[in-house]
Order: sequence, then structure tokens, then C-alpha cells
Amino acid sequence: MPTALSSARRRQRHGHSFLSYSTLLLISVFCIVPFFWIFLSSFDGDAQLFLHWPQQWTFDNYTRVFTVEDGGLWLFNSLFIVGCATILVVVLAGFGGYALSRSRAWWKLPFLYGILLIRVLPPTALVVPLYTILLTLNNWESAILRPIFGGLTRDIMRWTGFIDGYLGIILVLAAMQLPLALWIMKTFFDSVSPEYEEAAIIDGASLVQRIRYVLIPLALPGLAAAGLFSFIFAWGDFLMPLIFLSSPELQTLPLGLFRAFLRVNEIDYGLLAAISIIYLLPPAAAFVFARRFLVATFTGGVKG
Amino acid sequence: MKHRRRTAAWQLNLLLFPSALILALFIIYPALYSVYMSFTNEALVGPSARNPSLVGFRNYLRLFGDAEFWNALYVTLVFVVGSAIIGQFVLGLASALALTRRIRFRSLFSVFILLPNAAPEVVAGFMWISMLAGGDNATLSRIVMFFGITPPDWLQVFPLWMIIIVNTWRGIATAMILLSAGLSTIPQDVLEAARIDGARPFQIFRRITLPLMLPTIVLYMLISAVSTIAVFGLIYTLTRGGPGGATELVSIYIYNQSFTAFQLGYGAAVSVIVLLISMAIGIAYVRMMAVKV
Amino acid sequence: MQSRILALGACALTLLATTSIAGAQTIRIAEHRQARIDALNTVVPAIEESLGIEIEVIEYPAPERDYLTRLLTELRAGNAPDLFTAPRGQDVADMVASGYLAPITPDIQAWTDYDQLFDVAVELVTSYDGEIYVLPQMLNVQQIYFRRDILEEHGISTEQPATWADLLDRAREIREVTGAYALLFPSGVTWGGGAFGEGFQYLMAGTPTPELAGEDGTLNLRTDGVRDALNFYADLINDDLMPVQPLLGPEPWVIPKYEMFPAGELVATTCGSWCYIYDWGPESRNPIPDVTQAVGTWAMPGQDGGVHVMVDIDSPWAVNADSAELELATQVLFEIGSVEAAVAYAERLGNIPARRDAADNPDFQALTALVPVHANVENGTFLRTAPGFSVLAEGVARATDALLRQETDADGAHEILVEYVVNFLGDDAVN
Repeated sequence: MPTALSSARRRQRHGHSFLSYSTLLLISVFCIVPFFWIFLSSFDGDAQLFLHWPQQWTFDNYTRVFTVEDGGLWLFNSLFIVGCATILVVVLAGFGGYALSRSRAWWKLPFLYGILLIRVLPPTALVVPLYTILLTLNNWESAILRPIFGGLTRDIMRWTGFIDGYLGIILVLAAMQLPLALWIMKTFFDSVSPEYEEAAIIDGASLVQRIRYVLIPLALPGLAAAGLFSFIFAWGDFLMPLIFLSSPELQTLPLGLFRAFLRVNEIDYGLLAAISIIYLLPPAAAFVFARRFLVATFTGGVKG
Repeated sequence: MKHRRRTAAWQLNLLLFPSALILALFIIYPALYSVYMSFTNEALVGPSARNPSLVGFRNYLRLFGDAEFWNALYVTLVFVVGSAIIGQFVLGLASALALTRRIRFRSLFSVFILLPNAAPEVVAGFMWISMLAGGDNATLSRIVMFFGITPPDWLQVFPLWMIIIVNTWRGIATAMILLSAGLSTIPQDVLEAARIDGARPFQIFRRITLPLMLPTIVLYMLISAVSTIAVFGLIYTLTRGGPGGATELVSIYIYNQSFTAFQLGYGAAVSVIVLLISMAIGIAYVRMMAVKV
Repeated sequence: MQSRILALGACALTLLATTSIAGAQTIRIAEHRQARIDALNTVVPAIEESLGIEIEVIEYPAPERDYLTRLLTELRAGNAPDLFTAPRGQDVADMVASGYLAPITPDIQAWTDYDQLFDVAVELVTSYDGEIYVLPQMLNVQQIYFRRDILEEHGISTEQPATWADLLDRAREIREVTGAYALLFPSGVTWGGGAFGEGFQYLMAGTPTPELAGEDGTLNLRTDGVRDALNFYADLINDDLMPVQPLLGPEPWVIPKYEMFPAGELVATTCGSWCYIYDWGPESRNPIPDVTQAVGTWAMPGQDGGVHVMVDIDSPWAVNADSAELELATQVLFEIGSVEAAVAYAERLGNIPARRDAADNPDFQALTALVPVHANVENGTFLRTAPGFSVLAEGVARATDALLRQETDADGAHEILVEYVVNFLGDDAVN
């Protein structure tokens, strides 16, 4: 009897694996087929809009991104801007998420739902007023800097300017990602028992000490998840850089890509595909390396 | 003790302050300014760009009689239900369930499923142009021709279906991650016990897995619905809202009103209505599901 | 509103600060599309040298809509480059009304080359308020371009059609005999300003009531002429004379103009002199061999007779009214009006220099397709423009879009147009 049962179950198990395999296979094919074109075209000396097997394999498209176009600069700018925005989001959301988790203030719920729902506002609706604000800040800054630094002002403003400067775009990208990151961190801290802190409080630790020695180590997985998502979304945003950056020195990868695409009937598909692959790699790598621990982190969040 | 708690609240507010400041400056204020703009005839160009004036509810009155606005709302509704609520959820749940089994190539499968989510919007848009546009040369056309079917011009004949498929493709991973997390919270011993009692897999799924995962599913639905309403770049690269408004999501409608028809005031009025509708849905949803945060 | 005033104050402060410090002077120029940027770059070094300044050419998005969006957003915020172009003549009046363009009337009249400008060019740039705000560097001359080779092959007349009805009959004959689409009039929302600029205004010019801009600042839209013009589109669409599907997608011009016309699947289309160079010339993606022979032109017939060739300013140059370097930018503006610059643009884009003495330039003489057009430019017809034309153009795009989707007839489209304009400009703006 037992053997019969277990063999039946084994058969059932086999049936399940088959079902699982075919499900995963179908979904995977659906997911990766669109990538074939962009991947093959990037190595194709004669790339077209449609998929075909390259007649002449070449690295030329990639070389051109860095020699003919300013690919190196675009890559640096993208990494720098999105990197800074991500760090900013992680720090702010770490503190803010903790505060939201522990706070019992009456405005906590409205605040949380408010920032979540504000995400439905398409960024396109915010662009015009955002531009006005950033320009105002930018003009104030330049009014202060100009009398002091004179001709150097423009070089300084390239870093600290709000329009067409690193600082402005970093702040904007960070602000866009902050709501989701705050939610992730808040949910994460909800699952961290306050007992640890209470113990620390009893031991006489100050808020700074508690953060430094208790909360940051506990929050690391959550911070990593929030950072990862912020990085991926901010990396993919092209509307904000499009509107707020114009100097050639500040161009980022999506702008380079968009420009290559908008050359209408002069589109160079090989170049376009090569830029796309370069642009695609960092978030893909981030996702692939982080996928296990993402699930683990959200497990904490969902439980709480 | 009482004194300490009050200090703590003050400290907590201090910790939240920088986030609140950035949100207020770069999101809340622009949003409020949009509300103000919706009562004006502000434009990017023309006489009212120089001297914008308050026009009361004129933008709103116009909006209610604007067939294109209702069309955009309808398209968005179908898009959200089709891609976020059904497409991503079903495929994400299927992958999450399949990946709980100890099968070979597990990590390879999950990498494949994650890739679309990592693709930036513009790149994803390009890839799907190659998949769908270009008549018989489009990749999808060649796939169906392999099976002996005459391919239609995908983006002309089934535009709304196509953008639902594209957005589903992009979001399977998010659903999979969240739902895997939900699945892993289900105690293994409960499942094992059910199995020993002779429950069939489907019964286990319906009676145990699904009810236990309900909170996760509810949270997922809220987040994905809200973020799907704001999808813009992906579809804009692909169709720009056409043909003839068939894929004109509200986000694209707002963009078209504000930046191609240059009517900022009217575009802002549409944004305000969208915000109100989604807030209403959000609140109703939270009340109905009694989600606790 | 408050933030705007603050911004203005800050701007003024910045201005004060800048003038007190003599730095390296830089003029920023917005330009878009690779061909245009290449043309501009041929003259930039010489201008930098002669004025002792630096010029920064900023690449803007190539499609007209994205270009305008970006430019207008920056103009509204007060952060736009010192010099830029308005894509079409119909865009200028509204930019003037917005206060974005610096008036240049005294400067242009004092310009040594002012007398070389065609009279029609000066008329075209004279704004509704009598001032001049833009420099007419180039003109475009538009008419109907048809595949002479195909018509001759099928024994169809290549004679100039005399009336709208005549043109439609010819189109029906083409459709029947060749099986190809007969005649394209740009239309629909995704074509943007082209529905008006490359189609609707040809038709309006041939009606008894051609002027859309009324004397008192209103728009004459409730006329039979407007309805009949829309009915012309309805006829083209309902009789299957023009390809409809491609016009509903993004970049609607790509398939009909760059693919179907060279392949002979579309026999006639409205176009400008640029088509001989940019669309089907040797530099294009699908060149038509011996294009000036294979492709002939008809002037646009009037509703009941008379013919006309449309002439308009093409991408006229303007100085940003908020420019910190107004005077210097104006100097650069006139340098861009030189024969050399105009010919550089003509070579790459196929538009017509707006000055007479371009005819003496050997490089221009080499552009044989353009020389006769340049010589006849003074015979062109044009419509007056007024503020509100950007709304009007969008309204025409929407009205023709509804016709493309066969959702309505000419009366319905007329109603859509009027209603759209009334909604934004008010009831008393429309006659």
C-alpha cells in the first residue's frame, strides 16, 4: 500500500514538474523574444528595424558609441546622477520610513496614502510647475554666486545648478522615487520588532546611537531593496533628463538614445541597439544579482 | 516616561522632515500648482501664455463634454484591468507558483522573467516596435506566419490588445517578486498536512494558498493599479496614443493636451480629475478590503 | 504666479550681475535635425571669428512636435537659447503673442542686405501688429508633386488640373487605371502642424474666402470655404484615393512619402521643393532616379479655377526676447541670414533662400532643381496669419483625423474644428 501511494504521488509530482516547466518555458520565451532583435542588431554591421541574422558580425556599433558619440560621458553622467539620487533616496527613506513606522501621529495614514496616490499623477502633469520651481531656485543661486565667482559661475552651476545642473536632476529623480522607497522602508521597519530598540533605550542609548548600532544593521536588506528599485526606476526615466538637461556635457544615456531615435529617417539601428544594450546592462545586472534577496526582503514586508 | 515619548515623537518628525521637504517642494507643490493651473487658460504659446487669466470651471465643463477625455478614461481602465489586474497578476502568480518547486534551471527562468522589468521604458518601446511594427517583417508577424496565419498590422488592428500585452510583459517580474514573497510566508507544515490528508493540488491552492495570500494580493493590486495608471514612456514610444486615440491613456492624453496642443490649463484639469478618480478608487479599495498599514 | 514674479526678480538680479562682469560671450543656438545642424555648422566658425564670440549649437529633438514642445517649455520658463527657429510660418504669430520673440523691425530695415530679401518674404514676416520678429532665411514653395513617369506609362494626362473637381477626377482616374493610391493631403493629429501647413491652407487659398485671419483679430472659420475644404478631404478618403492607415500611426509621413511614393504605390502628394532634395533626392533613403524628370509638379487649382503655388517662410529665425545678450544675438541672427548660410541649408534640405542674390551663388546654381523655383518665388500665394493659428492648426488636425477615421462627414468635421477653436479662444474669437 505505502509503495503504491508514494508511486502515485511521484507520478503526480512528475506531472507537476512538467506543468511547471511548460509554464515557465512559455513565460520565459514571451519575456526574452523581444530582446533578440536589440541584441543581434547591436552586433550587426547592417542592422534594420526588423529581426534578421547578422551577415557581418561586428563590434563596430559599440566602438562608435564611445568614439563617434560621447558614450563614455553619457554613461558616466547616468551612473553619477542616478547613483547620487539612489543614495539620497536610501538615506532619506531609511530615516523617513523608520519615523513613519514608529510614529503614531494622526497624519500618518493620510500621509502614506497621499504619497502613494500621488504616484498616479503622470510625471507629464508635474513637469511645467516643476520647471518653474527649479528655475526660480536656479536664478536665486546664480544671483548669489555670480557676484562672488564671476565668470566661473557657469562651471560651478554645472554641478550645483537646478536647471541644466547635476544637483537639480538628482533632486528631481530622488523626489520621484521617494514615495515608493518610503513605503518599502516603512513596511520593512514594521516587521522589525521594537524590542531591540527598547532594550537599547533602557541601556541609555541616544537616538543617534540607536540608529547607528541597532537600526542600520537591521535595516540593511530593506535599504538595499529600496535602493535597487529607486536605481532601476530612476535609471529608466527619460522625461526628466529630457526636460531639465540641455548642455552636451550633461547628456545621459537615455538622452543619447532618444536623440539617436529621433533622427527620424536617418536612424542608425546598429548604433541605437548598441546604446540600448549598454543602457540596459546596469539595471539588468542589478536585478539578476539581487533577485534572491529581493524575495526574502519582501517576505518580511508582506508578513508585517 | 511620558516626557520621553514626546521627545521621541519630536525626533521622529525630525527624521521625516527631509523627505517631507523634498516631497513638498518637488511633488506636492507642483501638484497643487496644477490644481491652480486647471482653473486658468494657461498655455505654452499664444496670447494666454503671456497673460493667463482665471476661467473658473470652463476647463472642467469642457472636459465633461469631451469625447476624447472619456475615451482616454475608458482606454486607461481597460489597460489597467487587462495588464495589471489580469495579465501581470496571472502570469506573475503562475511563475511564482512554478518557481516554488525544486526544478532545474530555476534561476535561469527567473532571470529571463526579470529581464523585461530591468529594460528602461525607451528601450522596451524600441524592442516592441521591432516586434509589432513593419508589416510582415515584424517579429510577431513572422512567428504567426510560421504557423501559417496571415499576420494583421498589429498596432493598427489590435492596438489596445497590443499595449496590454506589452505592459503585461514588462510587469510580470514585479508581480512574481511580490507574490513569491507572499507564497513563502505560507507555513510549509500546513501545506504538508493538507497533502497528507489527501487534498488535491488545486484544492490546496483554493482553500489554503489563496486565502493566506489574500493580503499580499490586495497590496499588489493596489500598487500595480496605481503605478499602471501613470505608465507613459513605454506606450508613448510605441504608439503616441494612436491610431486615432485607440491607445491614448490618460497620461498620454494629458501630455498631448499640454505639450502638443499646448493647453496647459486644460491638461491640468484632466490631471486633477484623474487624481480625484484614483483617490476615490484607492479609498474605496482600502475601506472594502480593510487593509491595515 | 508668485513664483513667476520671484523668477522675474531673480532674472533681473542675474542680469545686473552679468552686465557688471565682462566674461567670454557665448550665444546659444537651438537647432534640430542632423541635416539642419550640419548646415548651421558650416557657417558657425566664420561667425565666431567675425564677431569674436563663442557659439554653442544645442541639438534639439528632430521631430517638429518634440522640438516645439521642448523649445516652448523653455521659452515659457525663460531659459531658452538666444536664437532658435519657429518650424513653420503658422507658428510665428502665436509666439509673438506670447511675448517670446524680440522685435527686430529697426534692425532688419537697417540691415545692409535688407534690399536683397524678396518682397514676398518681407510681407510674410511682417506680423499682424506691423512689427517684424523673425528673419526669413529660407522660403518653402509648395504644390502638388506627381509621378510623371507613372502617369505617362498609363496614358493618363499630366496636364495641370483646372479646378478641385478636375483634380479629384484625375485622382479617381489614377486610382482606377494604376491601382495605386492617387493623391495624399497630409492630415490627422499625428502629422501635427502639417495638416494645416501642407494641406489645408492650399485648399483655403483656392476658395472664395481664403483669409482665415479676420481684420479684427478674429478667425473666419464659419465659412463655406472651410466646409468645402474639409469636404475635399472627405472625398479623397471616402473614394479611397489616399492611404488612410499609415496616417493614423506615429510618424505618419514615413510610409506614404518615403516608401509608397518612391515605390509608385502613391502617385501624387502635396509637397514642397524640399521633396526633390530631402525626400526623394540623391541624399534620401529611397531616392527616385532622375527625380526632376520622373516627378512633375502641378500648381494647386482653385475651387472654381485659377491656380496658385503656396509660398511660406520656412523655419524663420528669431531672437529670444529674454536673451541676456539681445544685441549680440541680433548680430548673429543677421549673419545666419547670409547667402552662404542660406545655400548651406538649401543644399541639405531643398528649401529656397529668401534673398534674390542667392541666384548669383555658384553653389546654389548647382542645385538645378531649386533654381527655377527660386526665380518664380514672387508669384507665390500665401495666407495671412494671426494669433490663434496654433490652435487653429490643431483644430484642423483633429477635424481631418475624424475624417480619416470616417467618423463624420465634412459638416461634422467643420463642427469639430469650430468647437475646438471656440473652446480655447472663446466664442467671440471665431466668425
